Amino acid sequence: MTASGISADLEFRKWILQQPEGETLLRCYQCGRCTSACPIAAIDDSFNPRLFLEKIILADESLAEERLIWTCLTCEQCEVRCPEHVKIPEILVLAKVRGLVSGNTPQTALDRARAILSEGRTILVSEPMLKTRDKMGLPDLGRPPVEQLRTILKELGTVQRVESAESRYGGDGDE
Amino acid sequence: MGMSKSIEYTYFPGCTIPFRLPHFELTMKEVLKRLNVELITDEGHTCCPEPTTFPGIDIEAWLTVGARNIAVSESSSRDTMALCSGCFHTLSIVKHTLQSDKAIRERVNRRLKKVGLQATGEVSVKNILHVLHEDVGLKRIAKEITQPLKGLSIATHYGCHLVRPVEATHMDDAENPRWLENLIKVAGAEPVDYEDKMACCGAPIGPSDESKSFKITAQKLRKIRNAGADAIVLICPTCYTQLETQQRKAVEYLDPEFSLPVLYLGEMLALAMGLTDLVLSNSKRYHRVKIQPLLEKMGVDIE
Repeated sequence: MTASGISADLEFRKWILQQPEGETLLRCYQCGRCTSACPIAAIDDSFNPRLFLEKIILADESLAEERLIWTCLTCEQCEVRCPEHVKIPEILVLAKVRGLVSGNTPQTALDRARAILSEGRTILVSEPMLKTRDKMGLPDLGRPPVEQLRTILKELGTVQRVESAESRYGGDGDE
Repeated sequence: MGMSKSIEYTYFPGCTIPFRLPHFELTMKEVLKRLNVELITDEGHTCCPEPTTFPGIDIEAWLTVGARNIAVSESSSRDTMALCSGCFHTLSIVKHTLQSDKAIRERVNRRLKKVGLQATGEVSVKNILHVLHEDVGLKRIAKEITQPLKGLSIATHYGCHLVRPVEATHMDDAENPRWLENLIKVAGAEPVDYEDKMACCGAPIGPSDESKSFKITAQKLRKIRNAGADAIVLICPTCYTQLETQQRKAVEYLDPEFSLPVLYLGEMLALAMGLTDLVLSNSKRYHRVKIQPLLEKMGVDIE
Protein backbone atom coordinates (compact mmCIF):
# COMPACT_ATOMS: atom_id res chain seq x y z
CA MET A 1 0.00 0.00 0.00
CA THR A 2 0.94 3.61 -0.04
CA ALA A 3 2.64 5.66 2.61
CA SER A 4 2.17 9.38 2.01
CA GLY A 5 0.81 8.48 -1.44
CA ILE A 6 3.95 6.77 -2.75
CA SER A 7 3.56 3.18 -3.87
CA ALA A 8 6.60 0.94 -3.61
CA ASP A 9 6.59 0.01 -7.29
CA LEU A 10 6.26 3.64 -8.48
CA GLU A 11 3.35 2.42 -10.59
CA PHE A 12 1.66 5.83 -10.99
CA ARG A 13 4.85 7.49 -12.19
CA LYS A 14 5.60 4.66 -14.60
CA TRP A 15 2.08 4.86 -16.00
CA ILE A 16 2.36 8.64 -16.54
CA LEU A 17 5.65 8.20 -18.41
CA GLN A 18 4.03 5.69 -20.78
CA GLN A 19 1.14 7.99 -21.72
CA PRO A 20 1.12 10.36 -24.71
CA GLU A 21 3.27 13.40 -23.75
CA GLY A 22 3.81 11.88 -20.28
CA GLU A 23 7.57 11.55 -20.69
CA THR A 24 7.91 15.35 -21.03
CA LEU A 25 7.64 15.27 -17.22
CA LEU A 26 11.30 14.27 -17.02
CA ARG A 27 12.35 17.59 -18.53
CA CYS A 28 11.00 19.54 -15.54
CA TYR A 29 13.75 21.12 -13.40
CA GLN A 30 11.34 22.87 -11.04
CA CYS A 31 12.00 26.46 -12.10
CA GLY A 32 8.42 27.49 -11.27
CA ARG A 33 7.60 29.52 -14.37
CA CYS A 34 4.44 27.44 -14.72
CA THR A 35 3.20 28.62 -11.34
CA SER A 36 4.04 32.25 -12.03
CA ALA A 37 2.11 32.03 -15.32
CA CYS A 38 -0.94 30.27 -13.85
CA PRO A 39 -4.09 32.41 -13.41
CA ILE A 40 -5.48 30.03 -10.80
CA ALA A 41 -2.27 30.08 -8.75
CA ALA A 42 -2.62 33.88 -8.79
CA ILE A 43 -5.91 33.68 -6.88
CA ASP A 44 -5.34 30.47 -4.89
CA ASP A 45 -2.07 29.76 -3.07
CA SER A 46 -2.86 26.07 -2.74
CA PHE A 47 -2.88 25.62 -6.52
CA ASN A 48 0.75 25.24 -7.55
CA PRO A 49 1.63 23.53 -10.86
CA ARG A 50 5.32 23.31 -9.95
CA LEU A 51 4.46 21.36 -6.80
CA PHE A 52 2.05 19.14 -8.74
CA LEU A 53 4.90 18.19 -11.08
CA GLU A 54 7.26 17.64 -8.15
CA LYS A 55 4.80 15.22 -6.60
CA ILE A 56 4.55 13.18 -9.78
CA ILE A 57 8.32 13.21 -10.31
CA LEU A 58 8.62 11.80 -6.77
CA ALA A 59 5.95 9.19 -7.63
CA ASP A 60 3.48 10.59 -5.10
CA GLU A 61 0.01 9.36 -6.13
CA SER A 62 -1.95 11.59 -3.78
CA LEU A 63 -2.38 14.20 -6.53
CA ALA A 64 -4.95 11.97 -8.23
CA GLU A 65 -7.09 12.22 -5.09
CA GLU A 66 -7.03 15.99 -4.86
CA ARG A 67 -10.07 17.89 -5.99
CA LEU A 68 -7.77 20.84 -6.68
CA ILE A 69 -6.53 19.34 -9.95
CA TRP A 70 -10.00 19.84 -11.40
CA THR A 71 -9.59 23.59 -10.99
CA CYS A 72 -6.97 23.62 -13.74
CA LEU A 73 -8.45 25.83 -16.49
CA THR A 74 -6.62 23.87 -19.22
CA CYS A 75 -5.68 27.31 -20.59
CA GLU A 76 -2.12 26.07 -21.30
CA GLN A 77 -0.51 29.33 -20.17
CA CYS A 78 1.92 27.23 -18.07
CA GLU A 79 3.01 25.19 -21.06
CA VAL A 80 3.47 28.29 -23.22
CA ARG A 81 5.82 29.77 -20.61
CA CYS A 82 7.64 26.52 -19.72
CA PRO A 83 11.26 26.72 -20.97
CA GLU A 84 11.29 22.93 -21.43
CA HIS A 85 7.85 22.62 -23.05
CA VAL A 86 6.68 20.17 -20.44
CA LYS A 87 3.10 19.19 -21.33
CA ILE A 88 1.83 20.28 -17.92
CA PRO A 89 -1.90 20.43 -18.77
CA GLU A 90 -1.77 16.90 -20.23
CA ILE A 91 0.06 15.60 -17.18
CA LEU A 92 -2.67 17.02 -14.94
CA VAL A 93 -5.25 15.37 -17.20
CA LEU A 94 -3.50 12.05 -16.56
CA ALA A 95 -3.75 12.62 -12.81
CA LYS A 96 -7.48 13.30 -13.26
CA VAL A 97 -7.90 10.03 -15.18
CA ARG A 98 -6.30 8.16 -12.26
CA GLY A 99 -8.76 9.75 -9.85
CA LEU A 100 -11.89 8.44 -11.60
CA VAL A 101 -12.04 5.16 -9.68
CA SER A 102 -11.73 6.86 -6.32
CA GLY A 103 -14.52 9.35 -7.04
CA ASN A 104 -12.33 12.41 -7.65
CA THR A 105 -14.33 13.53 -10.71
CA PRO A 106 -16.87 16.40 -10.57
CA GLN A 107 -20.44 15.20 -11.08
CA THR A 108 -20.92 17.58 -14.05
CA ALA A 109 -17.95 16.01 -15.82
CA LEU A 110 -19.43 12.54 -15.32
CA ASP A 111 -22.85 13.66 -16.56
CA ARG A 112 -21.28 15.18 -19.65
CA ALA A 113 -19.30 12.02 -20.40
CA ARG A 114 -22.45 9.91 -20.01
CA ALA A 115 -24.31 12.16 -22.45
CA ILE A 116 -21.47 11.85 -24.98
CA LEU A 117 -21.41 8.06 -24.70
CA SER A 118 -25.19 7.60 -24.86
CA GLU A 119 -26.25 10.42 -27.22
CA GLY A 120 -23.06 11.24 -29.09
CA ARG A 121 -23.46 14.80 -27.84
CA THR A 122 -22.75 16.75 -24.65
CA ILE A 123 -26.33 17.98 -24.52
CA LEU A 124 -29.74 16.42 -24.91
CA VAL A 125 -31.32 17.84 -28.03
CA SER A 126 -34.92 18.98 -27.48
CA GLU A 127 -37.80 19.53 -29.88
CA PRO A 128 -37.67 23.38 -29.50
CA MET A 129 -33.95 23.33 -30.37
CA LEU A 130 -34.71 21.48 -33.60
CA LYS A 131 -37.56 23.87 -34.37
CA THR A 132 -35.28 26.88 -33.91
CA ARG A 133 -32.75 25.44 -36.33
CA ASP A 134 -35.51 24.75 -38.81
CA LYS A 135 -36.85 28.32 -38.53
CA MET A 136 -33.36 29.69 -39.10
CA GLY A 137 -33.01 27.54 -42.20
CA LEU A 138 -30.09 25.60 -40.72
CA PRO A 139 -29.54 22.00 -41.86
CA ASP A 140 -30.80 18.92 -40.02
CA LEU A 141 -27.77 17.29 -38.41
CA GLY A 142 -29.30 13.84 -38.00
CA ARG A 143 -28.58 11.55 -35.10
CA PRO A 144 -24.95 10.75 -34.29
CA PRO A 145 -23.96 7.08 -34.80
CA VAL A 146 -23.66 6.27 -31.09
CA GLU A 147 -23.44 2.49 -31.65
CA GLN A 148 -20.10 3.09 -33.36
CA LEU A 149 -18.75 4.82 -30.26
CA ARG A 150 -19.66 1.81 -28.15
CA THR A 151 -17.94 -0.52 -30.60
CA ILE A 152 -14.66 1.39 -30.85
CA LEU A 153 -14.49 1.92 -27.07
CA LYS A 154 -15.33 -1.66 -26.14
CA GLU A 155 -11.78 -2.84 -25.44
CA LEU A 156 -11.15 0.23 -23.25
CA GLY A 157 -14.19 -0.46 -21.07
CA THR A 158 -14.96 3.27 -21.05
CA VAL A 159 -18.75 2.97 -21.05
CA GLN A 160 -18.88 0.61 -18.05
CA ARG A 161 -16.28 2.60 -16.13
CA VAL A 162 -18.13 5.88 -16.64
CA GLU A 163 -21.50 4.29 -15.85
CA SER A 164 -20.29 2.82 -12.57
CA ALA A 165 -18.17 5.83 -11.50
CA GLU A 166 -19.41 7.92 -8.65
CA SER A 167 -18.43 11.45 -7.70
CA ARG A 168 -17.53 12.39 -4.16
CA TYR A 169 -18.70 15.89 -4.95
CA GLY A 170 -22.41 15.62 -5.74
CA GLY A 171 -24.17 17.94 -8.17
CA ASP A 172 -24.02 21.66 -8.95
CA GLY A 173 -23.36 24.28 -6.34
CA ASP A 174 -21.48 22.06 -3.89
CA GLU A 175 -18.53 23.74 -2.25
CA MET B 1 -16.87 38.25 -59.51
CA GLY B 2 -19.86 36.01 -60.19
CA MET B 3 -17.43 33.61 -61.84
CA SER B 4 -15.20 33.12 -58.81
CA LYS B 5 -15.15 29.53 -57.61
CA SER B 6 -16.55 28.71 -54.21
CA ILE B 7 -14.46 27.14 -51.46
CA GLU B 8 -15.99 24.13 -49.71
CA TYR B 9 -15.31 22.83 -46.21
CA THR B 10 -16.63 19.93 -44.22
CA TYR B 11 -18.39 21.73 -41.39
CA PHE B 12 -17.91 20.13 -37.99
CA PRO B 13 -20.93 21.43 -36.04
CA GLY B 14 -20.29 20.11 -32.50
CA CYS B 15 -22.97 20.34 -29.80
CA THR B 16 -23.15 23.84 -28.32
CA ILE B 17 -23.33 26.05 -31.40
CA PRO B 18 -26.04 24.20 -33.35
CA PHE B 19 -28.36 23.64 -30.38
CA ARG B 20 -27.67 26.33 -27.80
CA LEU B 21 -26.23 29.23 -29.81
CA PRO B 22 -27.51 28.68 -33.37
CA HIS B 23 -27.19 32.41 -34.11
CA PHE B 24 -23.44 31.73 -34.35
CA GLU B 25 -24.01 29.30 -37.21
CA LEU B 26 -26.69 31.47 -38.79
CA THR B 27 -24.65 34.68 -38.94
CA MET B 28 -21.37 33.04 -39.94
CA LYS B 29 -23.07 31.06 -42.69
CA GLU B 30 -24.51 34.26 -44.18
CA VAL B 31 -21.12 35.95 -43.96
CA LEU B 32 -19.42 32.98 -45.62
CA LYS B 33 -22.07 32.86 -48.34
CA ARG B 34 -21.07 36.39 -49.34
CA LEU B 35 -17.48 35.24 -49.49
CA ASN B 36 -18.37 32.26 -51.67
CA VAL B 37 -17.59 29.74 -48.96
CA GLU B 38 -19.81 26.70 -48.57
CA LEU B 39 -20.12 24.47 -45.51
CA ILE B 40 -21.07 20.83 -45.96
CA THR B 41 -22.18 18.73 -42.99
CA ASP B 42 -21.56 15.01 -42.51
CA GLU B 43 -24.04 13.15 -40.31
CA GLY B 44 -21.31 10.68 -39.35
CA HIS B 45 -19.73 13.12 -36.88
CA THR B 46 -20.34 12.89 -33.13
CA CYS B 47 -19.28 15.13 -30.21
CA CYS B 48 -15.59 15.93 -30.77
CA PRO B 49 -15.36 14.98 -27.62
CA GLU B 50 -15.14 18.21 -25.64
CA PRO B 51 -11.62 18.93 -24.39
CA THR B 52 -12.08 20.37 -20.89
CA THR B 53 -13.48 17.42 -18.92
CA PHE B 54 -13.73 14.28 -21.08
CA PRO B 55 -9.94 13.70 -21.41
CA GLY B 56 -9.74 13.77 -17.59
CA ILE B 57 -12.13 10.83 -17.49
CA ASP B 58 -10.55 8.68 -20.19
CA ILE B 59 -7.87 10.26 -22.35
CA GLU B 60 -7.53 7.17 -24.55
CA ALA B 61 -11.27 7.25 -25.27
CA TRP B 62 -10.96 10.95 -26.07
CA LEU B 63 -8.26 10.21 -28.64
CA THR B 64 -10.23 7.30 -30.07
CA VAL B 65 -13.54 9.14 -30.49
CA GLY B 66 -11.66 12.17 -31.83
CA ALA B 67 -9.88 9.94 -34.33
CA ARG B 68 -13.22 8.53 -35.45
CA ASN B 69 -14.38 12.06 -36.27
CA ILE B 70 -11.12 12.68 -38.13
CA ALA B 71 -11.69 9.44 -40.07
CA VAL B 72 -15.21 10.60 -41.05
CA SER B 73 -13.71 13.89 -42.26
CA GLU B 74 -11.07 12.05 -44.25
CA SER B 75 -13.75 10.31 -46.28
CA SER B 76 -13.90 13.50 -48.39
CA SER B 77 -11.00 15.50 -49.79
CA ARG B 78 -12.26 18.74 -48.28
CA ASP B 79 -10.60 20.48 -45.33
CA THR B 80 -12.58 20.31 -42.09
CA MET B 81 -13.62 23.51 -40.33
CA ALA B 82 -14.99 23.68 -36.79
CA LEU B 83 -16.72 26.91 -35.70
CA CYS B 84 -16.44 25.86 -32.06
CA SER B 85 -13.04 26.36 -30.42
CA GLY B 86 -13.46 23.30 -28.22
CA CYS B 87 -14.16 21.08 -31.22
CA PHE B 88 -11.29 22.67 -33.10
CA HIS B 89 -8.96 22.10 -30.15
CA THR B 90 -9.82 18.41 -29.85
CA LEU B 91 -9.74 17.72 -33.58
CA SER B 92 -6.50 19.60 -34.22
CA ILE B 93 -4.70 17.87 -31.34
CA VAL B 94 -5.99 14.43 -32.34
CA LYS B 95 -5.02 15.07 -35.95
CA HIS B 96 -1.54 16.20 -34.85
CA THR B 97 -1.15 13.18 -32.56
CA LEU B 98 -2.24 10.72 -35.26
CA GLN B 99 0.24 12.25 -37.66
CA SER B 100 3.19 12.43 -35.30
CA ASP B 101 2.82 9.33 -33.08
CA LYS B 102 2.88 6.03 -34.94
CA ALA B 103 2.12 3.89 -31.89
CA ILE B 104 -1.04 5.84 -31.09
CA ARG B 105 -2.09 5.92 -34.75
CA GLU B 106 -1.81 2.15 -34.97
CA ARG B 107 -3.64 1.29 -31.78
CA VAL B 108 -6.42 3.80 -32.42
CA ASN B 109 -6.87 2.49 -35.95
CA ARG B 110 -7.21 -1.08 -34.65
CA ARG B 111 -10.32 0.15 -32.83
CA LEU B 112 -11.65 2.16 -35.78
CA LYS B 113 -11.31 -0.84 -38.07
CA LYS B 114 -14.19 -2.47 -36.19
CA VAL B 115 -16.52 0.12 -37.71
CA GLY B 116 -14.80 0.14 -41.09
CA LEU B 117 -12.96 3.45 -40.62
CA GLN B 118 -9.36 4.58 -40.78
CA ALA B 119 -7.69 7.84 -39.69
CA THR B 120 -4.33 9.05 -40.98
CA GLY B 121 -4.29 12.60 -39.62
CA GLU B 122 -3.64 13.92 -43.13
CA VAL B 123 -6.86 15.96 -43.33
CA SER B 124 -6.54 19.70 -42.61
CA VAL B 125 -8.42 20.84 -39.51
CA LYS B 126 -9.13 24.55 -39.52
CA ASN B 127 -10.83 27.15 -37.37
CA ILE B 128 -12.76 30.15 -38.67
CA LEU B 129 -9.68 32.40 -38.51
CA HIS B 130 -7.76 30.07 -40.81
CA VAL B 131 -10.69 30.22 -43.22
CA LEU B 132 -11.26 33.99 -43.10
CA HIS B 133 -7.74 35.33 -42.59
CA GLU B 134 -5.69 32.76 -44.50
CA ASP B 135 -7.93 31.09 -47.11
CA VAL B 136 -10.37 33.86 -48.08
CA GLY B 137 -8.09 36.79 -47.20
CA LEU B 138 -8.62 40.29 -45.86
CA LYS B 139 -8.79 41.89 -49.32
CA ARG B 140 -11.70 39.72 -50.39
CA ILE B 141 -13.54 40.37 -47.11
CA ALA B 142 -13.00 44.13 -47.43
CA LYS B 143 -14.97 44.07 -50.70
CA GLU B 144 -18.09 42.96 -48.84
CA ILE B 145 -17.99 45.59 -46.10
CA THR B 146 -20.87 47.97 -46.77
CA GLN B 147 -21.52 49.28 -43.27
CA PRO B 148 -18.12 49.86 -41.62
CA LEU B 149 -18.25 49.78 -37.83
CA LYS B 150 -17.10 53.39 -37.58
CA GLY B 151 -16.23 54.77 -34.18
CA LEU B 152 -16.32 51.45 -32.35
CA SER B 153 -13.44 50.22 -30.20
CA ILE B 154 -13.51 46.44 -29.95
CA ALA B 155 -11.48 44.15 -27.69
CA THR B 156 -10.62 40.65 -28.89
CA HIS B 157 -11.06 37.53 -26.81
CA TYR B 158 -9.37 34.68 -28.69
CA GLY B 159 -9.91 32.06 -26.01
CA CYS B 160 -7.28 29.48 -25.04
CA HIS B 161 -8.40 26.44 -26.98
CA LEU B 162 -8.49 28.18 -30.35
CA VAL B 163 -4.84 29.16 -30.08
CA ARG B 164 -2.93 26.58 -28.03
CA PRO B 165 -0.92 24.48 -28.49
CA VAL B 166 0.35 26.20 -31.65
CA GLU B 167 2.08 23.07 -32.97
CA ALA B 168 -1.41 21.61 -33.38
CA THR B 169 -3.54 24.74 -33.94
CA HIS B 170 -1.19 26.41 -36.46
CA MET B 171 -2.21 29.85 -35.21
CA ASP B 172 0.05 32.86 -35.71
CA ASP B 173 1.20 33.23 -32.07
CA ALA B 174 0.49 31.63 -28.68
CA GLU B 175 0.84 34.83 -26.64
CA ASN B 176 -0.10 37.61 -29.03
CA PRO B 177 -2.15 36.42 -32.00
CA ARG B 178 -3.22 39.21 -34.40
CA TRP B 179 -5.66 37.69 -36.91
CA LEU B 180 -8.77 38.76 -35.02
CA GLU B 181 -7.46 42.33 -34.70
CA ASN B 182 -6.94 42.38 -38.46
CA LEU B 183 -10.57 41.33 -38.99
CA ILE B 184 -11.77 44.08 -36.65
CA LYS B 185 -9.84 46.60 -38.77
CA VAL B 186 -11.30 45.24 -42.00
CA ALA B 187 -14.76 45.61 -40.46
CA GLY B 188 -14.01 49.31 -39.93
CA ALA B 189 -13.62 49.29 -36.14
CA GLU B 190 -10.61 49.93 -33.92
CA PRO B 191 -9.01 46.97 -32.10
CA VAL B 192 -8.28 47.71 -28.44
CA ASP B 193 -5.21 46.29 -26.71
CA TYR B 194 -5.63 45.34 -23.08
CA GLU B 195 -3.74 43.66 -20.26
CA ASP B 196 -3.50 39.86 -20.44
CA LYS B 197 -5.28 39.54 -23.76
CA MET B 198 -4.77 35.77 -23.82
CA ALA B 199 -6.13 35.25 -20.29
CA CYS B 200 -8.75 32.51 -19.99
CA CYS B 201 -12.48 33.36 -19.67
CA GLY B 202 -12.79 31.08 -16.62
CA ALA B 203 -15.45 28.75 -18.01
CA PRO B 204 -13.66 25.37 -17.90
CA ILE B 205 -13.67 25.18 -14.10
CA GLY B 206 -17.33 26.14 -13.70
CA PRO B 207 -18.20 22.49 -12.94
CA SER B 208 -15.66 22.21 -10.12
CA ASP B 209 -15.38 25.69 -8.59
CA GLU B 210 -17.93 28.28 -9.63
CA SER B 211 -16.60 31.18 -7.57
CA LYS B 212 -13.04 30.83 -8.86
CA SER B 213 -14.40 30.49 -12.36
CA PHE B 214 -16.33 33.77 -12.12
CA LYS B 215 -13.46 35.56 -10.40
CA ILE B 216 -11.29 34.85 -13.45
CA THR B 217 -14.12 36.11 -15.68
CA ALA B 218 -14.57 39.28 -13.65
CA GLN B 219 -10.84 40.06 -13.80
CA LYS B 220 -10.90 39.68 -17.57
CA LEU B 221 -13.92 41.94 -17.97
CA ARG B 222 -12.37 44.57 -15.70
CA LYS B 223 -9.18 44.69 -17.78
CA ILE B 224 -11.21 45.07 -20.97
CA ARG B 225 -13.30 47.82 -19.38
CA ASN B 226 -10.16 49.65 -18.23
CA ALA B 227 -8.93 49.71 -21.83
CA GLY B 228 -12.07 51.56 -22.87
CA ALA B 229 -13.61 49.03 -25.24
CA ASP B 230 -17.20 49.41 -26.50
CA ALA B 231 -17.55 45.67 -27.05
CA ILE B 232 -15.81 42.30 -27.06
CA VAL B 233 -15.59 40.09 -30.12
CA LEU B 234 -15.02 36.37 -29.69
CA ILE B 235 -15.23 33.00 -31.40
CA CYS B 236 -15.77 30.28 -28.81
CA PRO B 237 -19.33 29.39 -27.69
CA THR B 238 -18.15 28.42 -24.20
CA CYS B 239 -16.36 31.75 -23.77
CA TYR B 240 -19.56 33.44 -25.02
CA THR B 241 -21.65 31.67 -22.39
CA GLN B 242 -19.19 32.78 -19.72
CA LEU B 243 -18.54 36.36 -20.85
CA GLU B 244 -22.03 37.17 -22.22
CA THR B 245 -24.75 34.87 -20.87
CA GLN B 246 -23.20 34.75 -17.39
CA GLN B 247 -21.69 38.24 -17.41
CA ARG B 248 -24.08 39.58 -14.80
CA LYS B 249 -23.19 36.82 -12.35
CA ALA B 250 -19.48 37.30 -13.00
CA VAL B 251 -19.31 41.08 -12.58
CA GLU B 252 -20.82 40.79 -9.10
CA TYR B 253 -17.42 39.52 -7.98
CA LEU B 254 -15.65 42.79 -8.83
CA ASP B 255 -17.72 45.47 -10.54
CA PRO B 256 -21.46 45.15 -10.02
CA GLU B 257 -23.50 47.41 -12.35
CA PHE B 258 -20.94 47.15 -15.13
CA SER B 259 -21.91 45.62 -18.48
CA LEU B 260 -20.24 45.21 -21.86
CA PRO B 261 -21.79 43.99 -25.13
CA VAL B 262 -20.30 40.82 -26.60
CA LEU B 263 -20.40 39.99 -30.30
CA TYR B 264 -19.70 36.67 -31.93
CA LEU B 265 -17.28 37.16 -34.85
CA GLY B 266 -20.05 36.18 -37.31
CA GLU B 267 -22.29 38.87 -35.85
CA MET B 268 -19.57 41.52 -36.06
CA LEU B 269 -18.86 40.74 -39.71
CA ALA B 270 -22.56 40.44 -40.55
CA LEU B 271 -23.15 43.93 -39.12
CA ALA B 272 -20.25 45.27 -41.17
CA MET B 273 -21.72 43.61 -44.27
CA GLY B 274 -25.01 45.41 -43.64
CA LEU B 275 -26.89 42.35 -42.38
CA THR B 276 -28.29 44.41 -39.49
CA ASP B 277 -31.73 42.79 -39.45
CA LEU B 278 -30.30 39.28 -39.39
CA VAL B 279 -28.22 40.10 -36.33
CA LEU B 280 -30.90 42.07 -34.51
CA SER B 281 -33.64 39.51 -35.17
CA ASN B 282 -31.92 37.15 -32.74
CA SER B 283 -30.28 39.61 -30.41
CA LYS B 284 -33.01 39.61 -27.78
CA ARG B 285 -32.98 35.85 -27.46
CA TYR B 286 -29.22 35.31 -27.31
CA HIS B 287 -27.83 38.53 -25.84
CA ARG B 288 -28.40 39.51 -22.24
CA VAL B 289 -26.34 42.68 -22.71
CA LYS B 290 -27.98 44.80 -25.39
CA ILE B 291 -25.99 45.33 -28.59
CA GLN B 292 -28.21 48.14 -29.91
CA PRO B 293 -26.05 50.88 -28.31
CA LEU B 294 -23.23 49.78 -30.62
CA LEU B 295 -25.38 50.48 -33.66
CA GLU B 296 -26.48 53.79 -32.20
CA LYS B 297 -22.85 54.77 -31.72
CA MET B 298 -22.20 53.92 -35.37
CA GLY B 299 -25.15 56.13 -36.33
CA VAL B 300 -27.21 53.28 -37.80
CA ASP B 301 -30.98 53.75 -37.69
CA ILE B 302 -32.70 50.89 -35.94
CA GLU B 303 -36.42 50.38 -35.46
